[in-house]
Amino acid sequence: MKNTLRQVFHSSKFVAGFIIFVAILLMMFIYPLINPGNPLQQIGVGTFAKPGTYVSLYDATKSPVSTFRLPDAAEKRLGTSLSEEDKVAMVEWFEAVGADISDLDTNDTEKMLEMWDEYYDPSAKPKGMIRAKILYYGRLDKSLKEMGGSDSISIADKNEEGELEETKKILDTDYVNTKDVANVKTLPLGTDNFGRDVLKELVSATGTSIRIGLIAGIVATLIGLTFGLLAGYVGGILDDIIMFVTNIFTVIPGFVLLILISYSIGQEQRGAAVVAIVIGFTSWTWTARSVRSQVISLRNRDHVNLSKLSGHSLVRIVLTDILPYIASYVVMAFILQVSSGILSEAQLSLLGLGPKTTEVPTLGLMMNWAMLYSAHTNGSWWAYFPVILTITLISFSLNLMNTGLDQVFNPTLRD
Amino acid sequence: MKGYRKYFGKKLLWFVVTFIVAVILNFILPRLMPADPVASITGKLAGGNSDASAVAEIYKRYQKEFGTDLPMIQQFFRFCKNAIHGNFGLSFSQYPRSVSNIIASSIGWTIALQLPAILVGWLLGNILGALAAYIRKGYDKVLLPIALFLGNVPAFGMAVIMLVIFGVYLKIAPISGGYAFDMIPHLSWNFIKSVISHYQLPFWSIVIISIGGQAVGMRSMSIYELNADYVKYSRFLGIKDRKIVGYVFRNAMLPQVTGLAMSIGTMIGGALVAEIIFSYPGLGSTMYSAVTSADYPLISATTLIITIMVLVMTFLLDIIYGFIDPRVKAAQFE
Amino acid sequence: MGKAMLEVKNLKTKYITRFHEDVYAVDGVSFTIEEGKSLGIAGESGCGKSTLALSMMGYYFAPLHYISGDIIIDGKNISGMDPDTVRKTILGTEIAYIPQAAMNALNPTQKIIRFIEDVVHAHDPKKDKKEIREMAEKRFAELGLPAEALNKHAVELSGGMKQRTVIAVSTILNPKVLIADEPSSALDVTSQKMVIKMMRELMEKGYIKSMLFITHELPLLYNVTDDIMVMYAGQLVEKGSAEQMVFDPVHPYSHGLMKSILVPEEGTRGQKLTAIPGAPPNLKRPPDGCRFAARCKYAKPECRYSAIPEKEFEENRMYRCLMGVDELREVYGNE
Repeated sequence: MKNTLRQVFHSSKFVAGFIIFVAILLMMFIYPLINPGNPLQQIGVGTFAKPGTYVSLYDATKSPVSTFRLPDAAEKRLGTSLSEEDKVAMVEWFEAVGADISDLDTNDTEKMLEMWDEYYDPSAKPKGMIRAKILYYGRLDKSLKEMGGSDSISIADKNEEGELEETKKILDTDYVNTKDVANVKTLPLGTDNFGRDVLKELVSATGTSIRIGLIAGIVATLIGLTFGLLAGYVGGILDDIIMFVTNIFTVIPGFVLLILISYSIGQEQRGAAVVAIVIGFTSWTWTARSVRSQVISLRNRDHVNLSKLSGHSLVRIVLTDILPYIASYVVMAFILQVSSGILSEAQLSLLGLGPKTTEVPTLGLMMNWAMLYSAHTNGSWWAYFPVILTITLISFSLNLMNTGLDQVFNPTLRD
Repeated sequence: MKGYRKYFGKKLLWFVVTFIVAVILNFILPRLMPADPVASITGKLAGGNSDASAVAEIYKRYQKEFGTDLPMIQQFFRFCKNAIHGNFGLSFSQYPRSVSNIIASSIGWTIALQLPAILVGWLLGNILGALAAYIRKGYDKVLLPIALFLGNVPAFGMAVIMLVIFGVYLKIAPISGGYAFDMIPHLSWNFIKSVISHYQLPFWSIVIISIGGQAVGMRSMSIYELNADYVKYSRFLGIKDRKIVGYVFRNAMLPQVTGLAMSIGTMIGGALVAEIIFSYPGLGSTMYSAVTSADYPLISATTLIITIMVLVMTFLLDIIYGFIDPRVKAAQFE
Repeated sequence: MGKAMLEVKNLKTKYITRFHEDVYAVDGVSFTIEEGKSLGIAGESGCGKSTLALSMMGYYFAPLHYISGDIIIDGKNISGMDPDTVRKTILGTEIAYIPQAAMNALNPTQKIIRFIEDVVHAHDPKKDKKEIREMAEKRFAELGLPAEALNKHAVELSGGMKQRTVIAVSTILNPKVLIADEPSSALDVTSQKMVIKMMRELMEKGYIKSMLFITHELPLLYNVTDDIMVMYAGQLVEKGSAEQMVFDPVHPYSHGLMKSILVPEEGTRGQKLTAIPGAPPNLKRPPDGCRFAARCKYAKPECRYSAIPEKEFEENRMYRCLMGVDELREVYGNE
């Protein structure tokens, strides 16, 4: 046993997979300690806030001010408020009035604005340009002027008479230290369509999905193992019956069964655990088949016959003379089942047949929400990409472990 | 030939038995639902109608239409009789279209998308895997982990990533539907062009997914075969390495046919979900809309059709396999 | 003395393991087989006899590597030849090989006749398929194999049939030297006899001119080959005629080998079998002195450091031991 373990941990593939998987598990346990709270709490109003650090504007205006004169501040300010579309429109204008744009860099905001001042003429009517477009350039010009225009923003409050009165002036050289601002929230992966913290949700969903995979794997392995042992060891008519059932369920696609059963259970009854058990119930055939063929080859080995002659009970023979020999296969099948269970949950959820949505997030549900709210078409990559990456990493790590084990236990494949 | 007939007969028998079990499961499972489906539909259709007798009237009408007032066994035979005639009743969500009408309009899309995609993916995957086994060096260290990693990206994930990169950012191909939304299916160049451009993303995402799994399997199969005794023997008889590689790949590829037969059920599951991502007008999307609108006759019919498709594919592959691989022939035909 | 068909001079080859260690599996082997003669090699598993068979083909692929020495087939030195030339002009036509596990030697998904076509075409790409079929049918008939076997896949043949087919295919191009690596070990007794009969026929009919037969069963060699060599730890330890080797072995290892196997002759029933104690040395670092010293009950201290040369004695006999022939005969005579 100890020796086998040592051998397994000599396989670089297994070790790589193991490290990735353990890292995911650690993340699952440690992150909630740093950032506790309900993962489904809607902290944001509105959908899909970008990843980043959010500073409370309200608190910031009241924080102590330091003055900095940074040389590139103005340019940066313009750069972030000048949208990509505006830049394209500006270049189009330059082209239309015949300016030289051969070495123009659209990221060089300063140069762009310089050229704009030089070439824009509100009275010009470039050939072929429709009126709406000319008007648009008028508006663009105005907003460009405003961007660079004022060097302060006034904050006004209503006074006793109900009139606005300036209470504070914020200059473009005013800075506050984020440490002085009472409310700063860092959202490494932004928020989702419901305004939830995606990272917190992802960590919790990963945990749930791994649990679903484990339950599905345990259920499938137990059923497959029992059937395989009975069919292989007892043989006879029992073998025929079990193989009949197994063959049928090998051919009927498990995914279809999964859909039918999940649908039949109904939304209300469908908790994460129920979904996991259903997945397990539809994916045991492979284990049953391979366990059976292994047991058949073991059944007539000398040590098994010796046990039989010594009058040991069936349970004892199975536990001491059969199971240790097929343990590696069972473990390998179990690992694959955990990984396919996680994937099945995700696919079910995408079909709208996942666990009910109010209790816990799962990776599949997160994916489903992101798709329902078109995260993929509106550029909110943080809502779906980390989910895909997590599923891929989990199944990659499990498969690596499986390949590593395969190489240790089936040396013909060893490189 | 006699042996082959026996093999064929045995496989056919299995096919029929599995088919019957599939139909029974398809019939029974939705009926085990704790809630009365007819009642829930009635509730939905009755909407704000508070007149109890009117609701009861609707309920009775539906009960009659779906035959839920009959005993189970009678219902089953009715279900079978209707199914044979292609009659799966009326759809709830797309009333008054019939279920068979909806399926007829989507099944072609699914077959045209998935069959070529899975086959192309299978072929490319096998070629890549074989090359990988033959070249070995370099590949193993760098490309194999990448291939393994890509092979583990779920089908829907690959679909989303392809959609975002090629559809949303690069704008190479349209991102949803089977053809431009302002078109009505008809035979014209414009329509065909539109269909082809909409075909690209779903097709390639399924292909890439199939490649990953196949290539890794083919690689280890080829390595196993490359170490076989006949390789050494053929070499010592002066046969060219290129020819021997041909033997090896043929032998490694044949079991992959079984692999395809075994995995086609799983692959279809992933591919159906990819259809949903691209709103492709096939069975996957139909099933999705059926699930979201609780259209229970439609769900039952789509699952049945998918099962039949998988069964037929598996059956055909089994038959082909028995025919082309003498190892199976020798074992099975006797 | 007849014309030498195969001459091997001081051949050395090694395996390179996946941990980049060298294993000297064949370490300076020399011998000659004359036209019309057969030579047997005996030794326990791992002594390098199968590696010697592979090394003599002049065609090396990982993990086996050539170090030095000559292989001369009918006057032509093939060592150091370009591998592709060896493949085209030597393999199958000058020297042919029958593998240890004939069970898996044939491509399972190919018909026998297609394989024969590939073999012939590898040397003569223009040869007509019809001609090849005729040739194959004729050869199969002469060797007592059914012509239908040609149209079958390897999986459809029985074990004995498979082995005989392999022999027929290997010799289809009339090689001058045939190397058979335990061709009959995995077979039942009847099939074994048929295989042996077939090999003799090949020699008698002149399809092959000489044969090297490798086995771990000494008594089988006595029945099959003219001469016998005993190999130990990558080196030859004794050589002589079949008769001499079985009834008058000299080297302590040959004695041990004879005692550890059953010779089915009258009076041997009830004779005790004794195994040679110990295990062969690790060929990654072969010992300086006699390689058998660690297991030899008559080993002296000097056996362990001085390299032992091959010593000729009597006619056509050789052994590798520090002790003299008479001394050895006396010691074993008293046992």
